[in-house]
Amino acid sequence: MSEESGEKEELLTFASTRFGELQVPVESVINFPSGIIGFPHTTKYVMLEHKHPFSWLHSVDDANLAFVVVDGFEFGQQFDVKPPIGDKDTELREDDEYAILIIVTVRSDPRLTTANLKAPLFVNMRNRRGVQVIFDDPRYSTRFPLWSEDPQAGAQAETEPAATAAARGGEEGSK
Amino acid sequence: MLILTRKPGESLYIGDDVKVTIVEIKGNQIRVGIDAPADLRIYREEIYKQILEENKNAAEAVMSGSALEHLTGTWKGMGKESPKGGRLSQASRSGGLASSSHQPQPKVFVKRKKSRPDGTDEEGERVSPDKEGKQES
Repeated sequence: MSEESGEKEELLTFASTRFGELQVPVESVINFPSGIIGFPHTTKYVMLEHKHPFSWLHSVDDANLAFVVVDGFEFGQQFDVKPPIGDKDTELREDDEYAILIIVTVRSDPRLTTANLKAPLFVNMRNRRGVQVIFDDPRYSTRFPLWSEDPQAGAQAETEPAATAAARGGEEGSK
Repeated sequence: MLILTRKPGESLYIGDDVKVTIVEIKGNQIRVGIDAPADLRIYREEIYKQILEENKNAAEAVMSGSALEHLTGTWKGMGKESPKGGRLSQASRSGGLASSSHQPQPKVFVKRKKSRPDGTDEEGERVSPDKEGKQES
């Protein structure tokens, strides 16, 4: 990882096992102070395009580490997660703009690809700092099928009764 | 591991601002109350491990997977309305980027509007709820 100053914007050069050497504007780096769960020591990432609507969240420090992500807002109104206002890592405030990124797990049969709706990443656009937040809510699966060809799989994720959420919310929500 | 004995109603402190209270014991279940700063993340172990495992799965699948090439925009996720031109990918691209054909285009992570609880975002675009999206193949 090295930084070099171009004529106009500073570029960051980093290695990727998948894509070789890449350059991105330094300002595009996203910092996850606590890392992503399971990867606590890797804190700097950049977004790279894949085929729409998929993007890469690629580590700048670890050439091997990358996630495929989808914009959380693509999941529509049903996916209604509260931003972590007051969170230390992102210093997210009410009036901040933020992005939601959903980590995708690609399966060997791509039709079975799933999205982790239970633990989205929030990125504060003001300071480009991010955090992964877990929502202990049965409506959101860690393996939400993107293209469910199996009606069972789709139904399972959808018909999880909202009453369960309410009941559990009552018990755990009051901290 | 430090082991302490407590009765229902009794508490213990972890540091100065985390207080753990044994609320109730009912059969083989124990209800625990936690007073802690709002930004302290508290998870049940099994949920935390589930996320950890799925993150690792996601990262490993990327390393080994050729299936990625087949991930295209034929997206039928929770939101049935197909993504509108991809707000993330509308991000302004910067010049001077290394871009041979096999490389993805690095993009600047663009400023965007946040969504509102009512489903509209600040651009006034309605994100409609979806009931059928997942049944489609």
